[in-house]
Amino acid sequence: MRPHIIHLYDDSTPGGVTRVLEHMRFSASMTSWARHSLQAVSRNGAMPQLKADMIVSHLALSWRRLPALVSFRARHAGTPIIHVEHSYTEAFCALNVPHKLRFFTMLRTSLALFDKVVAVSAAQAGWLAGRKLVREERLTVIEPMVNLSAFRAIRAPAGRPRVIGGIGRMHAQKGFDVLIDAFRQLDDPDLRLHLYGRGPEEAALRALAAGDDRIRFMGFADPALAMREVDLVAMPSRWEAFGLVALEARAAGRPVVCADTDGLRSSAGPDAVRVATLDAGDWARALRRATEAEPLAQGRLGDVESHFPRAWSDLLNEQTGKVEVLPDGLASATLQAATR
Amino acid sequence: MPYASIIVPAYNAARTLPETLGSLSAQFYRDYEIVVVDDGSTDDTATLTEAHALRDRRIRLVRQVNRGLAGARNTGIAAATGEVVGFCDADDLWRPEKLAQHVGHLESIPEIGLSFAGSRLIDGASRDTGHAQRPRLRHISAAHVFKRNPVGNGSAPVFRRAALEALAWRPATETRRDWVFDETFRQSEDIECWLRLALTTDWVIEGLPGLLTDYRVHGVGLSANVTAQLASWERMVTKLRPLSPDFFARHEAAARAYQLRYLARRAVSAGDGATAVRLVGEAFASSVRPLLEEPVRSLTTIGAAHLTARFGGAPLRLARSVLTAARG
Repeated sequence: MRPHIIHLYDDSTPGGVTRVLEHMRFSASMTSWARHSLQAVSRNGAMPQLKADMIVSHLALSWRRLPALVSFRARHAGTPIIHVEHSYTEAFCALNVPHKLRFFTMLRTSLALFDKVVAVSAAQAGWLAGRKLVREERLTVIEPMVNLSAFRAIRAPAGRPRVIGGIGRMHAQKGFDVLIDAFRQLDDPDLRLHLYGRGPEEAALRALAAGDDRIRFMGFADPALAMREVDLVAMPSRWEAFGLVALEARAAGRPVVCADTDGLRSSAGPDAVRVATLDAGDWARALRRATEAEPLAQGRLGDVESHFPRAWSDLLNEQTGKVEVLPDGLASATLQAATR
Repeated sequence: MPYASIIVPAYNAARTLPETLGSLSAQFYRDYEIVVVDDGSTDDTATLTEAHALRDRRIRLVRQVNRGLAGARNTGIAAATGEVVGFCDADDLWRPEKLAQHVGHLESIPEIGLSFAGSRLIDGASRDTGHAQRPRLRHISAAHVFKRNPVGNGSAPVFRRAALEALAWRPATETRRDWVFDETFRQSEDIECWLRLALTTDWVIEGLPGLLTDYRVHGVGLSANVTAQLASWERMVTKLRPLSPDFFARHEAAARAYQLRYLARRAVSAGDGATAVRLVGEAFASSVRPLLEEPVRSLTTIGAAHLTARFGGAPLRLARSVLTAARG
């Protein structure tokens, strides 16, 4: 019998996480060594009684959640419980937390309830450890993953980038307001800005874009289909725990221009153009440079997928000693390590 | 290397610098250096610093062509070696316990990046004016920094070096060293820095009780400056707004009202009633939040502005002397 892992999520779980959870539940590399199931948890109410070999929380932590979490921990004393921190980062905290000491106390107290805390980027882990929100020996980094094959299958764009893509939820987090302001400073009539996604800021963004018919709102689209239609991906995010879109852009051979913040420092890769500020003038300069030059051939992202099941099965093994069927490639890798 | 550095930006400060350096040399906490940045002075600032350095070996002098207050502070930061970095303008004074208090504060709460305290206001002859800045000390959010600037003045904060590093950037035109303060500002460079700390880093800003800085106010006609002051404040808002349009949408009108009210009070002090009345009018047209949040202070500002407009500086001088007599 494969070990059973239950993943807890709630409605405040960010959009990209839903896709990562799907990847965990259905990709062969994850299901060959464990059975994954999902358990929805209400944002404020009590938490259920569960039976599993390991429980993984993808929940948003808060003071309101804390009592239920304490009780959940107590009722599952014998089960390893892991937390994946999808939301909080240094830049999130700077912009969204008025009373930081109180917030740090909440986070420190909540994270202490878990056997292991998974950070989704090195930058986030550095912040969690630096602020002493979790002890380093209980902290590990596993970057999120989705199936990238659909992105690898997209033909690389040719010539100078003409279509700039903004892909993501229309929320202040994504900084599309900066992107629109910056794009409007570019005179080139052949350039396009395509925004994929929906969200609370959509009306305000449409107002910002009004009068410039080079800017188009494309609504929701399958991520790989959206990626195929753009030549360059812009991510002026105000905070970003990881930044899956950057990874997908690299798999599709699209250049990335991004904010120099949080998880984008790793997810956007070494070739990304990083803009230090959210100033529209700075962004316009970066986009002008990126669209005026013939791009260097973008190296496609290599195999990053295999790390993900290996890291998770290692974690399960460390917590339970119960991995029976190793994911592809892991057995031989382990064997090599043992015989070396 | 010393644990703390005190940076003294000095431009043509010969008249006040010896007293400033005297107050810094007398700090109870002993493990520190003083970095005086002579910002292209044409007076005896450098000579006086060197003379003082003969008596206190912890003083270092750095000279540069004039770059303004922000530029002098940035040069000081680049030259400073301490884990803890404080600032004292060359006409202000530190109380002898100030550095010790802030070092203890930063050591006891590792999340604090900026520690500050209140200030006593002194006049040109270093006499206590009876006025003080007594800001809120704890639970300071970015909104509070924006509206009320609890740090108060450039000689109040003591930073943890890591917090300054989190603020540092290198503009394309700069070849020598990073910027922490924005050198394109000639006014509002302080509040721009504190607010940027609050909005772009997760360092906590917290104050200590007591009045640990003597902050010098110069009684010269300041209201001529009001337009320029307001313009630089507006430029700060324009610069920082993209960081969080939501934050500015929520707090900008109230912060502008507080800023206008502050300038109105300065105009009252300068005896310029007409300007004061105009500014209070603009303040409460921008937002009535100061009236709700600080009714007494807001109403006295309105009253003082109108009295000064009607009767000149006399009523205020009278009130002040009565208050001083009552205190004495």
